[in-house]
Amino acid sequence: MAAITLQGLSKTYRSHAHPRGLVALDDVSVSVADREFLCLLGPSGCGKTTVLNVLAGLDRDYRGDVAIDGRPLPKNGVGPFRIGYVFQEPRLLPWLTVRRNLHFALESFGVPREEREARVRTWLRRVGLAEFAEAHPHELSGGMQQRAAIARAFAVEPQLLLMDEPFSGLDELTARGLREQLLALWQETRRTVIFVTHNCFEACFVADRILVLSARPGRVRHEVRVDLPRPRSYDSAQLFELSVAVTRLVTEVPEEG
Amino acid sequence: MPGDGGTRPWRTHGFVVRLTSVVVLLIAWQVVSVLISEKYVPGPAPTFAALAVQVASGAVLQHLSITMVRMLASFALAMATGIVIGTVMGLYRRGEQALDLWVMVMLTIPGLCYIIVSFMWLGLNERAAVLAIAWTTFPSIAINVWQGVKAIDQRLIDMARVFRASPWRRTARVVIPQVLPYLMAAARFGLGVVWKVTVLVELLGRSDGVGYMLNYSFQMFNMADVFAWTLLFTLVMLAIELAVLKPVEVRLFRWRPELRA
Repeated sequence: MAAITLQGLSKTYRSHAHPRGLVALDDVSVSVADREFLCLLGPSGCGKTTVLNVLAGLDRDYRGDVAIDGRPLPKNGVGPFRIGYVFQEPRLLPWLTVRRNLHFALESFGVPREEREARVRTWLRRVGLAEFAEAHPHELSGGMQQRAAIARAFAVEPQLLLMDEPFSGLDELTARGLREQLLALWQETRRTVIFVTHNCFEACFVADRILVLSARPGRVRHEVRVDLPRPRSYDSAQLFELSVAVTRLVTEVPEEG
Repeated sequence: MPGDGGTRPWRTHGFVVRLTSVVVLLIAWQVVSVLISEKYVPGPAPTFAALAVQVASGAVLQHLSITMVRMLASFALAMATGIVIGTVMGLYRRGEQALDLWVMVMLTIPGLCYIIVSFMWLGLNERAAVLAIAWTTFPSIAINVWQGVKAIDQRLIDMARVFRASPWRRTARVVIPQVLPYLMAAARFGLGVVWKVTVLVELLGRSDGVGYMLNYSFQMFNMADVFAWTLLFTLVMLAIELAVLKPVEVRLFRWRPELRA
Protein backbone atom coordinates (compact mmCIF):
# COMPACT_ATOMS: atom_id res chain seq x y z
CA MET A 1 0.00 0.00 0.00
CA ALA A 2 1.19 3.51 -0.54
CA ALA A 3 0.68 7.16 0.20
CA ILE A 4 1.02 9.51 -2.75
CA THR A 5 2.06 13.15 -2.92
CA LEU A 6 1.99 15.29 -6.05
CA GLN A 7 3.46 18.74 -5.51
CA GLY A 8 2.95 21.58 -7.98
CA LEU A 9 2.26 19.31 -10.94
CA SER A 10 2.03 21.20 -14.25
CA LYS A 11 1.69 19.87 -17.74
CA THR A 12 1.58 21.67 -21.07
CA TYR A 13 0.71 19.95 -24.34
CA ARG A 14 2.30 21.33 -27.47
CA SER A 15 0.82 20.57 -30.88
CA HIS A 16 0.09 22.18 -34.24
CA ALA A 17 -3.28 23.34 -32.96
CA HIS A 18 -1.66 24.96 -29.91
CA PRO A 19 1.81 26.16 -30.93
CA ARG A 20 2.21 28.09 -27.67
CA GLY A 21 1.03 25.12 -25.67
CA LEU A 22 -2.21 24.07 -24.04
CA VAL A 23 -1.97 24.07 -20.25
CA ALA A 24 -3.61 20.84 -19.09
CA LEU A 25 -2.55 21.00 -15.46
CA ASP A 26 -1.53 24.12 -13.60
CA ASP A 27 0.17 23.74 -10.25
CA VAL A 28 -1.91 20.84 -9.01
CA SER A 29 -1.06 19.43 -5.60
CA VAL A 30 -2.70 16.25 -4.45
CA SER A 31 -1.96 13.98 -1.57
CA VAL A 32 -3.53 10.61 -1.08
CA ALA A 33 -3.34 8.77 2.21
CA ASP A 34 -2.43 5.13 2.39
CA ARG A 35 -5.53 2.97 1.72
CA GLU A 36 -7.59 5.98 0.74
CA PHE A 37 -10.11 6.00 -2.10
CA LEU A 38 -9.65 9.36 -3.80
CA CYS A 39 -11.76 10.64 -6.65
CA LEU A 40 -10.66 13.25 -9.19
CA LEU A 41 -13.83 14.83 -10.51
CA GLY A 42 -14.08 17.31 -13.33
CA PRO A 43 -15.19 18.03 -16.89
CA SER A 44 -13.36 16.54 -19.86
CA GLY A 45 -10.12 18.30 -20.62
CA CYS A 46 -9.26 19.12 -17.02
CA GLY A 47 -6.18 16.89 -17.08
CA LYS A 48 -7.55 14.15 -14.82
CA THR A 49 -6.10 11.39 -16.98
CA THR A 50 -2.76 13.21 -17.13
CA VAL A 51 -2.42 12.84 -13.35
CA LEU A 52 -2.89 9.08 -13.69
CA ASN A 53 -0.47 8.83 -16.61
CA VAL A 54 2.22 10.70 -14.67
CA LEU A 55 1.84 8.30 -11.75
CA ALA A 56 1.84 5.28 -14.07
CA GLY A 57 5.05 6.41 -15.77
CA LEU A 58 3.34 6.83 -19.15
CA ASP A 59 3.85 10.59 -19.15
CA ARG A 60 7.34 11.82 -18.28
CA ASP A 61 7.15 15.32 -19.68
CA TYR A 62 5.81 17.29 -16.71
CA ARG A 63 6.91 19.74 -14.04
CA GLY A 64 6.48 19.17 -10.34
CA ASP A 65 7.39 16.57 -7.76
CA VAL A 66 5.79 13.21 -7.43
CA ALA A 67 6.50 10.86 -4.56
CA ILE A 68 5.12 7.48 -3.64
CA ASP A 69 5.62 6.54 0.00
CA GLY A 70 8.03 9.45 0.34
CA ARG A 71 10.29 8.19 -2.45
CA PRO A 72 10.39 10.45 -5.51
CA LEU A 73 9.11 8.94 -8.76
CA PRO A 74 12.17 8.25 -10.93
CA LYS A 75 12.19 10.27 -14.13
CA ASN A 76 12.41 7.13 -16.25
CA GLY A 77 8.97 6.34 -14.87
CA VAL A 78 9.77 2.82 -13.69
CA GLY A 79 9.42 2.90 -9.94
CA PRO A 80 9.94 0.04 -7.53
CA PHE A 81 6.20 -0.19 -6.85
CA ARG A 82 3.40 -2.06 -8.49
CA ILE A 83 0.60 -0.13 -10.14
CA GLY A 84 -2.72 -1.51 -11.32
CA TYR A 85 -4.47 0.52 -13.99
CA VAL A 86 -8.05 0.14 -15.18
CA PHE A 87 -8.44 2.16 -18.36
CA GLN A 88 -11.58 3.64 -19.84
CA GLU A 89 -11.55 0.77 -22.36
CA PRO A 90 -10.74 -2.77 -21.20
CA ARG A 91 -7.44 -2.86 -23.15
CA LEU A 92 -7.24 -6.63 -23.14
CA LEU A 93 -4.98 -8.27 -25.72
CA PRO A 94 -7.56 -9.60 -28.20
CA TRP A 95 -5.52 -12.65 -29.23
CA LEU A 96 -5.19 -13.99 -25.68
CA THR A 97 -7.87 -15.68 -23.60
CA VAL A 98 -9.08 -13.87 -20.49
CA ARG A 99 -6.94 -16.15 -18.33
CA ARG A 100 -3.81 -15.53 -20.38
CA ASN A 101 -4.47 -11.78 -20.35
CA LEU A 102 -4.17 -11.87 -16.57
CA HIS A 103 -1.09 -14.07 -16.84
CA PHE A 104 0.47 -11.54 -19.20
CA ALA A 105 0.32 -8.81 -16.55
CA LEU A 106 1.55 -11.08 -13.73
CA GLU A 107 4.39 -12.48 -15.84
CA SER A 108 5.46 -8.94 -16.67
CA PHE A 109 5.79 -8.30 -12.94
CA GLY A 110 7.79 -11.50 -12.59
CA VAL A 111 5.31 -13.39 -10.41
CA PRO A 112 6.36 -17.08 -10.26
CA ARG A 113 4.26 -19.58 -12.17
CA GLU A 114 2.58 -21.42 -9.30
CA GLU A 115 1.48 -18.24 -7.64
CA ARG A 116 0.33 -16.81 -10.95
CA GLU A 117 -2.02 -19.71 -11.52
CA ALA A 118 -3.51 -19.34 -8.06
CA ARG A 119 -3.95 -15.58 -8.26
CA VAL A 120 -5.50 -15.67 -11.72
CA ARG A 121 -7.99 -18.32 -10.60
CA THR A 122 -8.86 -16.37 -7.45
CA TRP A 123 -9.41 -13.06 -9.19
CA LEU A 124 -11.40 -14.43 -12.09
CA ARG A 125 -13.66 -16.10 -9.55
CA ARG A 126 -13.98 -12.92 -7.50
CA VAL A 127 -15.17 -10.89 -10.48
CA GLY A 128 -17.46 -13.73 -11.57
CA LEU A 129 -15.58 -14.72 -14.70
CA ALA A 130 -14.38 -18.19 -13.66
CA GLU A 131 -16.44 -19.84 -16.39
CA PHE A 132 -15.07 -17.47 -19.02
CA ALA A 133 -11.38 -17.99 -18.33
CA GLU A 134 -10.80 -19.61 -21.72
CA ALA A 135 -12.93 -17.13 -23.68
CA HIS A 136 -11.40 -14.48 -25.90
CA PRO A 137 -12.28 -10.84 -25.13
CA HIS A 138 -14.48 -10.41 -28.22
CA GLU A 139 -16.72 -13.20 -26.93
CA LEU A 140 -17.55 -11.20 -23.80
CA SER A 141 -19.88 -8.25 -23.30
CA GLY A 142 -18.41 -4.81 -22.57
CA GLY A 143 -19.18 -5.16 -18.86
CA MET A 144 -17.50 -8.56 -18.66
CA GLN A 145 -14.43 -7.27 -20.48
CA GLN A 146 -14.17 -4.45 -17.98
CA ARG A 147 -14.50 -6.96 -15.14
CA ALA A 148 -11.58 -8.87 -16.62
CA ALA A 149 -9.60 -5.62 -16.70
CA ILE A 150 -10.48 -5.00 -13.03
CA ALA A 151 -9.41 -8.55 -12.14
CA ARG A 152 -6.11 -7.95 -13.96
CA ALA A 153 -5.49 -4.72 -12.02
CA PHE A 154 -6.23 -6.34 -8.64
CA ALA A 155 -4.34 -9.55 -9.46
CA VAL A 156 -0.98 -7.76 -9.66
CA GLU A 157 -1.61 -6.79 -5.99
CA PRO A 158 -0.88 -3.14 -6.71
CA GLN A 159 0.28 -0.68 -4.08
CA LEU A 160 -1.62 1.92 -6.06
CA LEU A 161 -4.73 1.34 -8.16
CA LEU A 162 -5.48 3.88 -10.90
CA MET A 163 -8.90 3.95 -12.53
CA ASP A 164 -9.71 6.20 -15.48
CA GLU A 165 -13.48 6.50 -15.93
CA PRO A 166 -13.68 2.71 -15.94
CA PHE A 167 -17.47 2.57 -16.16
CA SER A 168 -18.22 5.48 -18.48
CA GLY A 169 -18.42 3.24 -21.56
CA LEU A 170 -21.05 0.97 -20.01
CA ASP A 171 -24.80 1.28 -19.66
CA GLU A 172 -25.90 2.59 -16.24
CA LEU A 173 -27.35 -0.72 -15.06
CA THR A 174 -24.11 -2.60 -15.74
CA ALA A 175 -22.09 0.27 -14.29
CA ARG A 176 -24.08 0.13 -11.02
CA GLY A 177 -23.35 -3.56 -10.61
CA LEU A 178 -19.67 -3.07 -11.31
CA ARG A 179 -19.34 -0.14 -8.90
CA GLU A 180 -20.76 -2.23 -6.07
CA GLN A 181 -18.48 -5.11 -7.01
CA LEU A 182 -15.47 -2.79 -7.13
CA LEU A 183 -16.24 -1.38 -3.68
CA ALA A 184 -16.66 -4.87 -2.22
CA LEU A 185 -13.24 -5.90 -3.61
CA TRP A 186 -11.71 -2.66 -2.38
CA GLN A 187 -13.03 -3.15 1.15
CA GLU A 188 -11.45 -6.59 1.23
CA THR A 189 -8.07 -5.46 -0.04
CA ARG A 190 -7.94 -1.75 0.86
CA ARG A 191 -5.64 -0.64 -1.92
CA THR A 192 -4.86 3.04 -2.34
CA VAL A 193 -7.09 4.13 -5.23
CA ILE A 194 -7.18 7.18 -7.47
CA PHE A 195 -10.40 7.10 -9.44
CA VAL A 196 -11.06 9.58 -12.24
CA THR A 197 -14.60 10.41 -13.32
CA HIS A 198 -16.84 13.19 -14.65
CA ASN A 199 -19.89 11.61 -13.03
CA CYS A 200 -20.73 13.41 -9.75
CA PHE A 201 -23.04 10.71 -8.45
CA GLU A 202 -20.44 8.04 -9.14
CA ALA A 203 -17.78 10.09 -7.34
CA CYS A 204 -19.97 10.41 -4.23
CA PHE A 205 -20.84 6.71 -4.31
CA VAL A 206 -17.28 5.38 -4.45
CA ALA A 207 -14.94 7.91 -2.83
CA ASP A 208 -13.61 8.72 0.63
CA ARG A 209 -12.64 12.14 -0.65
CA ILE A 210 -13.32 14.04 -3.87
CA LEU A 211 -11.12 16.68 -5.49
CA VAL A 212 -13.08 18.85 -7.91
CA LEU A 213 -10.92 20.07 -10.82
CA SER A 214 -11.61 22.91 -13.22
CA ALA A 215 -10.93 22.69 -16.95
CA ARG A 216 -8.18 24.37 -19.01
CA PRO A 217 -6.06 24.83 -17.09
CA GLY A 218 -6.78 22.02 -14.68
CA ARG A 219 -6.66 23.29 -11.10
CA VAL A 220 -7.98 21.88 -7.85
CA ARG A 221 -11.13 23.92 -7.07
CA HIS A 222 -12.71 22.14 -4.13
CA GLU A 223 -12.18 19.30 -1.77
CA VAL A 224 -15.15 17.26 -0.54
CA ARG A 225 -14.92 14.67 2.20
CA VAL A 226 -17.48 11.87 1.80
CA ASP A 227 -18.35 10.59 5.26
CA LEU A 228 -21.09 8.18 4.23
CA PRO A 229 -20.89 4.77 5.89
CA ARG A 230 -19.89 1.74 3.81
CA PRO A 231 -21.24 -0.38 2.26
CA ARG A 232 -23.16 2.38 0.53
CA SER A 233 -26.58 2.13 -1.04
CA TYR A 234 -27.74 3.78 -4.25
CA ASP A 235 -31.03 4.63 -2.50
CA SER A 236 -29.48 6.64 0.33
CA ALA A 237 -30.95 10.12 0.68
CA GLN A 238 -27.67 11.47 2.06
CA LEU A 239 -25.85 10.23 -1.03
CA PHE A 240 -28.38 11.94 -3.26
CA GLU A 241 -28.11 15.25 -1.37
CA LEU A 242 -24.35 15.14 -1.44
CA SER A 243 -24.29 14.45 -5.17
CA VAL A 244 -26.56 17.44 -5.79
CA ALA A 245 -24.20 19.65 -3.78
CA VAL A 246 -21.14 18.30 -5.59
CA THR A 247 -22.83 18.79 -8.97
CA ARG A 248 -23.30 22.44 -8.04
CA LEU A 249 -19.59 22.75 -7.26
CA VAL A 250 -18.65 21.21 -10.60
CA THR A 251 -20.98 23.31 -12.73
CA GLU A 252 -20.36 26.68 -11.06
CA VAL A 253 -18.52 29.21 -13.20
CA PRO A 254 -15.16 29.95 -11.60
CA GLU A 255 -14.60 33.68 -11.11
CA GLU A 256 -11.64 34.96 -13.11
CA GLY A 257 -8.69 36.06 -11.06
CA MET B 1 -22.56 -27.84 -27.19
CA PRO B 2 -24.72 -25.89 -29.63
CA GLY B 3 -21.67 -24.17 -31.15
CA ASP B 4 -20.00 -27.44 -32.13
CA GLY B 5 -23.18 -28.81 -33.64
CA GLY B 6 -23.38 -25.78 -35.91
CA THR B 7 -19.75 -25.68 -37.04
CA ARG B 8 -19.16 -29.16 -38.35
CA PRO B 9 -21.89 -29.52 -41.01
CA TRP B 10 -20.96 -26.03 -42.15
CA ARG B 11 -17.31 -27.06 -42.76
CA THR B 12 -18.37 -30.23 -44.61
CA HIS B 13 -20.74 -28.14 -46.64
CA GLY B 14 -17.91 -25.77 -47.62
CA PHE B 15 -15.78 -28.70 -48.76
CA VAL B 16 -18.59 -30.05 -50.95
CA VAL B 17 -19.04 -26.63 -52.55
CA ARG B 18 -15.30 -26.41 -53.33
CA LEU B 19 -15.18 -29.92 -54.77
CA THR B 20 -18.22 -29.22 -56.93
CA SER B 21 -16.64 -26.06 -58.28
CA VAL B 22 -13.49 -27.99 -59.30
CA VAL B 23 -15.58 -30.66 -61.04
CA VAL B 24 -17.60 -27.99 -62.85
CA LEU B 25 -14.36 -26.33 -63.98
CA LEU B 26 -13.02 -29.61 -65.41
CA ILE B 27 -16.31 -30.27 -67.23
CA ALA B 28 -16.40 -26.75 -68.67
CA TRP B 29 -12.80 -27.13 -69.81
CA GLN B 30 -13.68 -30.40 -71.57
CA VAL B 31 -16.77 -28.87 -73.21
CA VAL B 32 -14.84 -25.86 -74.53
CA SER B 33 -12.13 -28.17 -75.83
CA VAL B 34 -14.67 -30.29 -77.74
CA LEU B 35 -16.51 -27.23 -79.08
CA ILE B 36 -13.41 -25.44 -80.39
CA SER B 37 -10.88 -28.16 -81.18
CA GLU B 38 -8.31 -30.25 -79.36
CA LYS B 39 -5.60 -28.48 -81.30
CA TYR B 40 -6.22 -25.03 -79.85
CA VAL B 41 -7.73 -26.01 -76.51
CA PRO B 42 -6.40 -29.36 -75.31
CA GLY B 43 -8.85 -30.96 -72.86
CA PRO B 44 -8.01 -32.12 -69.33
CA ALA B 45 -6.99 -35.62 -70.46
CA PRO B 46 -4.34 -34.64 -73.07
CA THR B 47 -3.06 -31.88 -70.76
CA PHE B 48 -2.52 -34.28 -67.85
CA ALA B 49 -0.98 -36.76 -70.29
CA ALA B 50 1.49 -34.13 -71.53
CA LEU B 51 2.30 -33.23 -67.94
CA ALA B 52 2.91 -36.91 -67.14
CA VAL B 53 5.37 -37.13 -70.04
CA GLN B 54 7.25 -34.08 -68.74
CA VAL B 55 7.34 -35.53 -65.25
CA ALA B 56 8.62 -38.87 -66.56
CA SER B 57 11.38 -37.20 -68.58
CA GLY B 58 12.67 -35.39 -65.48
CA ALA B 59 12.01 -31.99 -67.05
CA VAL B 60 9.52 -31.04 -64.37
CA LEU B 61 11.92 -31.76 -61.55
CA GLN B 62 14.75 -29.85 -63.21
CA HIS B 63 12.85 -26.76 -64.33
CA LEU B 64 10.40 -26.52 -61.47
CA SER B 65 13.13 -26.75 -58.86
CA ILE B 66 15.22 -23.99 -60.45
CA THR B 67 12.09 -21.81 -60.69
CA MET B 68 11.28 -22.45 -57.03
CA VAL B 69 14.82 -21.56 -55.94
CA ARG B 70 14.67 -18.26 -57.84
CA MET B 71 11.25 -17.55 -56.40
CA LEU B 72 12.19 -18.23 -52.82
CA ALA B 73 15.40 -16.21 -53.00
CA SER B 74 13.59 -13.24 -54.56
CA PHE B 75 10.69 -13.57 -52.15
CA ALA B 76 13.02 -13.54 -49.14
CA LEU B 77 14.85 -10.48 -50.49
CA ALA B 78 11.58 -8.68 -51.26
CA MET B 79 10.13 -9.47 -47.82
CA ALA B 80 13.28 -8.30 -46.01
CA THR B 81 13.42 -5.03 -47.98
CA GLY B 82 9.67 -4.49 -47.78
CA ILE B 83 9.52 -5.08 -44.03
CA VAL B 84 12.41 -2.70 -43.31
CA ILE B 85 11.07 0.08 -45.54
CA GLY B 86 7.46 -0.42 -44.45
CA THR B 87 8.45 -0.34 -40.78
CA VAL B 88 10.48 2.85 -41.18
CA MET B 89 7.56 4.47 -43.01
CA GLY B 90 5.08 3.34 -40.38
CA LEU B 91 7.13 4.43 -37.37
CA TYR B 92 8.57 7.76 -38.47
CA ARG B 93 6.69 10.62 -40.04
CA ARG B 94 9.90 11.78 -41.75
CA GLY B 95 10.42 8.29 -43.16
CA GLU B 96 6.92 8.33 -44.53
CA GLN B 97 7.35 11.75 -46.12
CA ALA B 98 10.67 10.74 -47.67
CA LEU B 99 9.67 7.35 -49.00
CA ASP B 100 5.96 7.20 -49.84
CA LEU B 101 6.41 8.77 -53.28
CA TRP B 102 9.25 6.38 -54.12
CA VAL B 103 7.27 3.34 -53.11
CA MET B 104 4.26 4.48 -55.11
CA VAL B 105 6.37 5.12 -58.20
CA MET B 106 8.11 1.78 -57.89
CA LEU B 107 4.75 0.08 -57.53
CA THR B 108 3.54 1.68 -60.76
CA ILE B 109 6.54 0.83 -62.96
CA PRO B 110 5.83 -2.39 -64.90
CA GLY B 111 7.82 -5.47 -63.88
CA LEU B 112 9.13 -5.76 -67.42
CA CYS B 113 11.10 -2.53 -66.98
CA TYR B 114 12.87 -3.85 -63.87
CA ILE B 115 13.65 -7.09 -65.69
CA ILE B 116 15.19 -5.35 -68.72
CA VAL B 117 17.15 -2.89 -66.58
CA SER B 118 18.48 -5.66 -64.29
CA PHE B 119 19.61 -7.81 -67.22
CA MET B 120 21.28 -4.80 -68.88
CA TRP B 121 23.07 -3.83 -65.67
CA LEU B 122 24.13 -7.23 -64.39
CA GLY B 123 24.02 -9.45 -67.48
CA LEU B 124 21.88 -12.49 -68.18
CA ASN B 125 22.55 -14.22 -64.85
CA GLU B 126 20.88 -15.38 -61.64
CA ARG B 127 21.75 -12.25 -59.69
CA ALA B 128 19.94 -10.11 -62.24
CA ALA B 129 16.95 -12.48 -62.22
CA VAL B 130 16.61 -12.38 -58.42
CA LEU B 131 17.11 -8.60 -58.34
CA ALA B 132 14.44 -8.03 -60.98
CA ILE B 133 11.87 -10.25 -59.24
CA ALA B 134 12.52 -8.81 -55.78
CA TRP B 135 12.46 -5.25 -57.12
CA THR B 136 9.04 -5.76 -58.73
CA THR B 137 7.67 -7.39 -55.58
CA PHE B 138 8.91 -5.35 -52.64
CA PRO B 139 6.77 -2.17 -53.08
CA SER B 140 3.51 -3.98 -52.47
CA ILE B 141 5.02 -5.70 -49.41
CA ALA B 142 6.32 -2.37 -48.08
CA ILE B 143 2.86 -0.82 -48.45
CA ASN B 144 1.18 -3.63 -46.53
CA VAL B 145 3.73 -3.48 -43.71
CA TRP B 146 3.50 0.32 -43.62
CA GLN B 147 -0.26 0.14 -43.11
CA GLY B 148 0.20 -2.57 -40.49
CA VAL B 149 2.71 -0.59 -38.46
CA LYS B 150 0.53 2.51 -38.62
CA ALA B 151 -2.43 0.51 -37.32
CA ILE B 152 -0.60 -0.54 -34.14
CA ASP B 153 -2.72 0.33 -31.12
CA GLN B 154 -0.58 2.50 -28.84
CA ARG B 155 -3.09 2.06 -26.03
CA LEU B 156 -2.25 -1.64 -25.74
CA ILE B 157 1.47 -0.81 -25.60
CA ASP B 158 0.76 1.69 -22.81
CA MET B 159 -1.18 -1.01 -20.96
CA ALA B 160 1.83 -3.33 -21.20
CA ARG B 161 4.14 -0.56 -19.96
CA VAL B 162 1.97 0.11 -16.91
CA PHE B 163 2.14 -3.59 -16.08
CA ARG B 164 5.92 -3.34 -16.36
CA ALA B 165 6.42 -5.46 -19.48
CA SER B 166 10.02 -5.04 -20.70
CA PRO B 167 10.59 -3.41 -24.11
CA TRP B 168 11.44 -6.82 -25.55
CA ARG B 169 8.24 -8.31 -24.13
CA ARG B 170 6.15 -5.41 -25.41
CA THR B 171 7.55 -5.96 -28.90
CA ALA B 172 7.16 -9.73 -28.93
CA ARG B 173 3.82 -10.00 -27.15
CA VAL B 174 2.00 -6.78 -28.02
CA VAL B 175 3.43 -5.19 -31.18
CA ILE B 176 4.22 -8.16 -33.42
CA PRO B 177 0.87 -9.93 -32.91
CA GLN B 178 -0.83 -6.72 -34.08
CA VAL B 179 1.28 -6.52 -37.25
CA LEU B 180 1.07 -10.24 -38.11
CA PRO B 181 -2.18 -10.08 -40.11
CA TYR B 182 -0.63 -7.40 -42.31
CA LEU B 183 2.59 -9.41 -42.69
CA MET B 184 0.51 -12.38 -43.73
CA ALA B 185 -1.32 -10.30 -46.33
CA ALA B 186 2.03 -8.94 -47.52
CA ALA B 187 3.44 -12.45 -47.89
CA ARG B 188 0.43 -13.71 -49.81
CA PHE B 189 0.35 -10.70 -52.11
CA GLY B 190 4.12 -10.87 -52.57
CA LEU B 191 4.04 -14.55 -53.51
CA GLY B 192 1.42 -13.83 -56.17
CA VAL B 193 3.62 -11.17 -57.74
CA VAL B 194 6.77 -13.30 -57.46
CA TRP B 195 5.13 -16.16 -59.38
CA LYS B 196 4.09 -13.96 -62.27
CA VAL B 197 7.39 -12.14 -62.56
CA THR B 198 9.58 -15.22 -62.25
CA VAL B 199 8.19 -16.86 -65.39
CA LEU B 200 8.58 -13.60 -67.26
CA VAL B 201 12.22 -13.32 -66.17
CA GLU B 202 12.88 -16.89 -67.27
CA LEU B 203 11.25 -16.28 -70.62
CA LEU B 204 13.37 -13.19 -71.27
CA GLY B 205 16.77 -13.99 -69.90
CA ARG B 206 17.26 -17.54 -68.61
CA SER B 207 17.66 -20.86 -70.37
CA ASP B 208 15.88 -22.98 -67.79
CA GLY B 209 12.86 -22.83 -65.48
CA VAL B 210 9.12 -23.08 -66.03
CA GLY B 211 8.99 -19.76 -67.90
CA TYR B 212 11.67 -20.95 -70.30
CA MET B 213 9.78 -24.19 -70.94
CA LEU B 214 6.55 -22.27 -71.56
CA ASN B 215 8.34 -20.19 -74.17
CA TYR B 216 9.92 -23.32 -75.68
CA SER B 217 6.49 -24.96 -76.00
CA PHE B 218 5.23 -21.75 -77.61
CA GLN B 219 8.09 -21.82 -80.17
CA MET B 220 7.20 -25.46 -80.99
CA PHE B 221 3.54 -24.46 -81.08
CA ASN B 222 2.84 -27.36 -78.72
CA MET B 223 -0.42 -26.30 -77.12
CA ALA B 224 -0.68 -29.37 -74.87
CA ASP B 225 2.72 -28.58 -73.31
CA VAL B 226 1.78 -24.92 -72.78
CA PHE B 227 -1.31 -26.10 -70.94
CA ALA B 228 0.68 -28.73 -69.04
CA TRP B 229 3.26 -26.23 -67.70
CA THR B 230 0.52 -23.77 -66.80
CA LEU B 231 -1.38 -26.51 -65.00
CA LEU B 232 1.77 -27.52 -63.12
CA PHE B 233 2.26 -23.95 -62.01
CA THR B 234 -1.31 -23.67 -60.82
CA LEU B 235 -1.09 -26.93 -58.88
CA VAL B 236 2.11 -25.86 -57.11
CA MET B 237 0.55 -22.53 -56.17
CA LEU B 238 -2.52 -24.24 -54.80
CA ALA B 239 -0.34 -26.62 -52.82
CA ILE B 240 1.55 -23.71 -51.25
CA GLU B 241 -1.70 -21.96 -50.42
CA LEU B 242 -3.35 -25.01 -48.90
CA ALA B 243 -0.32 -26.67 -47.29
CA VAL B 244 1.54 -23.60 -46.02
CA LEU B 245 -0.33 -20.28 -46.01
CA LYS B 246 -3.77 -21.45 -44.94
CA PRO B 247 -2.64 -23.60 -41.98
CA VAL B 248 -0.27 -20.89 -40.78
CA GLU B 249 -3.07 -18.35 -40.98
CA VAL B 250 -5.57 -20.55 -39.17
CA ARG B 251 -3.00 -21.30 -36.47
CA LEU B 252 -2.04 -17.65 -35.98
CA PHE B 253 -5.47 -16.08 -36.14
CA ARG B 254 -7.61 -18.73 -34.48
CA TRP B 255 -8.72 -16.13 -31.98
CA ARG B 256 -10.29 -13.93 -34.62
CA PRO B 257 -14.07 -14.25 -34.88
CA GLU B 258 -14.26 -14.00 -38.68
CA LEU B 259 -11.95 -16.99 -39.20
CA ARG B 260 -13.97 -19.25 -36.93
CA ALA B 261 -17.16 -19.20 -38.95
